[in-house]
Amino acid sequence: MEVNVTRRQFLKLSGAVAATLAVVELGFDEKSVKAQSEEFKIAKLTPTPTICPYCSVGCGILVYANEDDVVYTEGDPDHPINEGTLCSKGTTVRQVYTSEKRVTKPMYRAPGSSKWEEVDWDFALDKVAKNIKETRDKTFMEKENGITVNRTDAIAYLGGAALDNEECHLLQKLFRAGLGLSYIEHQARI
Amino acid sequence: MMADYIKFVDVTKCDGCRACMVACKNWNDLPTVTEEYSGSIQSHAKVNAHTWNVITYNEHETANGGFEWLFRHQSCLHCVEAACEKACPEDAISHTEFGSVVIDHDKCVGCGYCVQNCTFDVVELATYKDKHGKEYRRAQKCTLCTDRLEQGLEPACVTACHTDCLIYDEKEKVLSEAEQRLAKIKERFPNANIYNPQGIKGTTTVYLLADKPSVYGLPENPKVPLSQIVWKDYAQPLGKAMFGVTTMAVVGSVIAHAMNREKGEHKGGQDHE
Repeated sequence: MEVNVTRRQFLKLSGAVAATLAVVELGFDEKSVKAQSEEFKIAKLTPTPTICPYCSVGCGILVYANEDDVVYTEGDPDHPINEGTLCSKGTTVRQVYTSEKRVTKPMYRAPGSSKWEEVDWDFALDKVAKNIKETRDKTFMEKENGITVNRTDAIAYLGGAALDNEECHLLQKLFRAGLGLSYIEHQARI
Repeated sequence: MMADYIKFVDVTKCDGCRACMVACKNWNDLPTVTEEYSGSIQSHAKVNAHTWNVITYNEHETANGGFEWLFRHQSCLHCVEAACEKACPEDAISHTEFGSVVIDHDKCVGCGYCVQNCTFDVVELATYKDKHGKEYRRAQKCTLCTDRLEQGLEPACVTACHTDCLIYDEKEKVLSEAEQRLAKIKERFPNANIYNPQGIKGTTTVYLLADKPSVYGLPENPKVPLSQIVWKDYAQPLGKAMFGVTTMAVVGSVIAHAMNREKGEHKGGQDHE
């Protein structure tokens, strides 16, 4: 059989074959394209060090946050107590901020009421101050069995593990020395 | 050349705190998976599409009738010869330079072959909805935090572990230390062993187990089925080559045919060559 191919036809044919080969065999590097398109989650964020709010061990935590969200939290590797590690509860600390259940405004449930309502800070603080004053005035005991005690048994104070020494000093000053409370407790002991 | 690194799990150091589980969810932004209480304090029956590692709590009776918890950090082992990779018809599963086995979600079609073929039952399909509300599936599992490894960081689970049960370090070093640790714990755990199955050419997550692999629900000597190897390493490439040849033949013949016809139509005319 005689193959009758002109020069132009030959060039057209070989061009088409080369193009097909290029598509079939070479492709292009999808992986590097993909790698560039995905950004590392904490790439542009500066970590803020903090202390875990839960138990009294006081582990260091790094918080990676942008303007409107906490993106990631992890143990602070430079912290002498936990050296970068955390327990399962400390690892969830991001949810203190991100949880939908987080209460962001003071809530008030009036005596006898069955529901909570939002109030402003002024109302809440005034209410707390008023109740403390009333309760203390009503129950304050200067002497017991002839001994000076200057205390009230009607109010208790609950502190937390995240308080530092200075805060504890001030709170003791206010509640024990100032108001005369003897029931002063700590969250981690309950 | 960078030294080979592996993740090492010394289950005898695990205290079951589950920080690794939470750290994984935290880094990878995985949603909660609620399961019904099963009578055990283990949180989930096994790893699932949104829970890439689970601490299993084995209630174990010791030789003298005592009770012991056997914990295991269960997640993808990143097999050197990975059955999931062999099973994947879309070439969506591959090994990275870190030895981790990762799924490319642009290629994954959610067929579930990897789920069925995984040696350790750690791959699962997650269901998502696209912007038109149409459901689609993608295979999900532990990535060994390859994105963190690329930045020189340890996997998130390793970062969180406070007993050094989880370690990410140079392979040679870790394996030799593992041998020393094994010798130390033999008295307490006579069946203790290092789990780095050679039937699949080893794994990138190596375990020091306190008892026989079967006690932890692990296969004693796993292998990738020969049929999988034939399928992936021989049948598929051949099929693709055939596809290429066929494409070229079809394209070539279409062009040749078109040119012939052209020539026929201009019979007797001038072909300005």
